[in-house]
Amino acid sequence: MAQVKIDCMYEPCPIPLLKAARELSSLELGDVVLIETDHSCAIANITEWAEKEKLDCWIEETRSGDWNIYIKKT
Amino acid sequence: MKENQEMGLLKKLYTVVFKNIWPLWVGGVILAALNTVYLLLLGRAWRITTGFTYWSAWVVQAFGGKPQEWSYFVETGRQTEVEQCFFSNDLSLVSFGVILGALLSVLLSGQFKIKKIKTTKQAIAALAGGIIMGYASRIALGCNIGAFFSAVPSLSLSGYVFGLFVVIGAWLGSKFLVKFLL
Repeated sequence: MAQVKIDCMYEPCPIPLLKAARELSSLELGDVVLIETDHSCAIANITEWAEKEKLDCWIEETRSGDWNIYIKKT
Repeated sequence: MKENQEMGLLKKLYTVVFKNIWPLWVGGVILAALNTVYLLLLGRAWRITTGFTYWSAWVVQAFGGKPQEWSYFVETGRQTEVEQCFFSNDLSLVSFGVILGALLSVLLSGQFKIKKIKTTKQAIAALAGGIIMGYASRIALGCNIGAFFSAVPSLSLSGYVFGLFVVIGAWLGSKFLVKFLL
């Protein structure tokens, strides 16, 4: 049950999604990727992608305009 | 109790309108309606980069250049518009409005932030991308707004040709991005 953090601050779409997908493919079942982002579009496209891939995904707003996105490999 | 409920409702409304991302179709409908109004009021459809082109022409003019004599402005019939100013040209004003509107929307959502440059690679890519887009939008006589978004509803074939090549360009661009920027 490892958790890997990816720093995607200041990076525009689709880089956060691509980095998350790349990281996730090298992880084991049950592991979690944490994406730190300040790009609001990343929330929309990462959650959409996670839904399509049937992965658990949840978001927390760490402060106004910054988010932590979690994706669990299932 | 009732007051609390009302506050909760207001907060929810604020979140839906200003904080959450609007569904694509909402944005599409609003853009189509606004472009129709623009066409009705001003007799031509909306363009973005042409406004920016005038800004740079005016900068050149301020330094004593004569962009109105450049073949680009002569051949596209835009000499008279170059002789207008920031506040008297509609395309200039509407491009300014887009920037102002973006600022307003990010301020209303409370997400305004000055973003840092993360790596030199990111800076070079952004700068190179900007130059290529600016140059290309001039030789293509429009960007995705003028040459696509405004051309397609005008039933212009050029809009579809532009759209096809945008798809090819985006595909190539995404390959490049995955290879060099990730």
